Amino acid sequence: MAVTASQPGGIADHIHPEPQGFIRKYVFSIDHKIIGIQYIVTSFVFMVLGGLLAELIRIQLMNANGGFMTPDTYNEVYTIHGSTMVWLVIVPMVTGGFGNFVFPLQIGARDVAFPWLNMVSFWMFPPAGLLLYASFLVGAPVAGWTEYPPVSLQGGPGTSMWCAAIFLVGVGTTLTGINFLVTALKMRAPGMTFTRMPLFVWAQFATAPLVMIATTALAAALAALFMERQFGVPFYDPTKGGSPLLWQHMFWFYSHPAVYIMILPVFGIISEVFPTFARKPIFGYKMIAFSSISIALLGFMVWAHHMFTSGLAPFLQLPFMIMTMVIAIPTGIKVFSWLATLWGGKIQYTTAMLFAIAFIATFTLGGISGVFLAAIPFDLWAHGTYFIVAHIHYVLVGGSLTGIFAGMFYWYPKMTGRFMNETLGRWTFWLFVIGLNGTFVPMHWLGLMGMPRRVAEYDPQFQTINRVESLFSFVMTFAILLFFINALWSIRHGKRAGHNPWHARTLEWQIPSPPPYYNFKHIPTVLANPYAFDEPVPYAGLEDELTDSPVPIPAGAH
Amino acid sequence: MRAALAADQFYQETRDLRVTGFLLFMVSDLVLFSSFIFAYLYLRNTGQGWPPPGAPHLNLALAALNSVVLFGSGATIHFALENWKHEKFMKFAGWTLATIVLGIMFLSGQGIEYYSLYTVDHASWAGSGIFGASFFTLTGMHGLHVFAGIIYLTVLLLQATQGKYTFKHYTGLTLGTLYWHFVDVIWVVLFSIFYLI
Repeated sequence: MAVTASQPGGIADHIHPEPQGFIRKYVFSIDHKIIGIQYIVTSFVFMVLGGLLAELIRIQLMNANGGFMTPDTYNEVYTIHGSTMVWLVIVPMVTGGFGNFVFPLQIGARDVAFPWLNMVSFWMFPPAGLLLYASFLVGAPVAGWTEYPPVSLQGGPGTSMWCAAIFLVGVGTTLTGINFLVTALKMRAPGMTFTRMPLFVWAQFATAPLVMIATTALAAALAALFMERQFGVPFYDPTKGGSPLLWQHMFWFYSHPAVYIMILPVFGIISEVFPTFARKPIFGYKMIAFSSISIALLGFMVWAHHMFTSGLAPFLQLPFMIMTMVIAIPTGIKVFSWLATLWGGKIQYTTAMLFAIAFIATFTLGGISGVFLAAIPFDLWAHGTYFIVAHIHYVLVGGSLTGIFAGMFYWYPKMTGRFMNETLGRWTFWLFVIGLNGTFVPMHWLGLMGMPRRVAEYDPQFQTINRVESLFSFVMTFAILLFFINALWSIRHGKRAGHNPWHARTLEWQIPSPPPYYNFKHIPTVLANPYAFDEPVPYAGLEDELTDSPVPIPAGAH
Repeated sequence: MRAALAADQFYQETRDLRVTGFLLFMVSDLVLFSSFIFAYLYLRNTGQGWPPPGAPHLNLALAALNSVVLFGSGATIHFALENWKHEKFMKFAGWTLATIVLGIMFLSGQGIEYYSLYTVDHASWAGSGIFGASFFTLTGMHGLHVFAGIIYLTVLLLQATQGKYTFKHYTGLTLGTLYWHFVDVIWVVLFSIFYLI
């Protein structure tokens, strides 16, 4: 049990001196906080690249007859855009990034269970991204981020590079999942029972097994695709007895849980931001925690709802439709619990809180169009249209990315010791929300009117709406640019924040900002869950954390 | 005395973490095998009847013998670890060596099977059809695991000889044993789905 962490001489007392050289400190670091920031920075770099590709797409679509790039190039651009945003931005950001920085601090640990493995996981990520972008040099994959065969079996070596890149980043994510699960199970501070864990910890705890199991299934699918392309080992090619549907099953067995990998940690961020800025205990703590677990379990049982138009056996369709709709229940429990948390609170409208509130609206829109799409008759109508594009972007931009911004504004003072600029933050917020909705709301209409997705040229009747979308997408891009300027400027020039500027109650806010290398001088004891805002913080043994007293190294520690 | 206690505490907690992490790694590895097994069963049950035209005949007798060899190695590695716990180094080394030899025998058996499939029976290979793809991918992946296991056990044996482990502190040996049992269990499934059904 976690309680063992308090025993003298245990892992909790295993304090190394901080490494001094630049390489060991910032490049090949084994410190979870540095690794977390490395993940966040790398993900943002790839977000710039993926965002530029998105703008190329929007420029192309401003004219019904295209003309900005060739249809082949267009196929490459949207394929790499989607692959980047899923595997190189959102997944690493919410698991490796926020997970690494925040979650060990919140459970009162000095690091994750396997710090060295953590470093290895991270260093699989940048090379994978470079490999993916290098595929542009030899002809990037063109079958979309889902890479359905038989199209993905054709074409140049770019698709094989895609396989290798996603495989590599997947191995890193899997190892992170294992690492986090062991950490959550074994390294919680004494007294931190399951019902005392902060909700962000619950979210990571629910995500880790998803990552570990689903990503490995994807690895198998990718390995098979790679072998088929490079060595002619038939799995998917129907002319050799293979089945293109097999890929769809294996791919969605990963990629549907992956949706929850990308959103569950963000639910955790929202569950931290809301009580802090509403100054109220979170409503329905246990229900939020258990709904994360049930979403994670249900997430494995719904993959074939992506395949209603692919020729799935009819007796399989109904169960998948029903299970998919059932997921709306735990998700709804979370949304209503968050709203009830706001009810009657003394709400502080910081930028982080604004983003969290916007998240409720935009994520719920994406969730509701998801329930639409789960209904088979509607899906047959909307499949392969811009309605799908609207849905995925409401969930991933309106959901994950909005939540990531909330988390960045919330934890930036912990990472750097300084605030991000709030005025600039508000500009970012309003421009982002306006740009987001202006870009993606009309996509629903386009989809219902019948505009197919993944086309470089389209019927001229859709041109006006597409131009409006493109203009709003420039607004959104400008907002994100403001965010980057803010984040870079504030590292040196932001207002100093002190250790707990938001008066938050989870453990990471009880120690200095940025946290010292060893995190805690003494591992604290947890007395209650952190959300009782009218009581003193429920920790014992934190008296020395903010003083100048030296780090005590117990007798017998290594 | 206190330092010794602390070191012991550190060892116990580290062991706990490493064993848990290793078990989770094996779960993850199991999913990898399961995915390919799913692919095989999916192709087998949705295609134009089974076996597909041109599928070779597998050598059931050889595979059965090979299975006995591998299951035997599961027993020998168990004896090895038990003897370590009872502080009998020589017996530990003997049983570990026996496991390694049995592992090599298993791989040789697999080699004979592959060779006969490739040369004698329809020149079957991974690229020759969906049977070959599933069979060679899955048994090949398993064979790689056995090969890695042989290397792993050899390293552990050498380390034990050089005194890296004590009779009280031997997490590495536990993990090696767990791994070998895992490879064993996978073979039960593979043998069933390729040779028995």
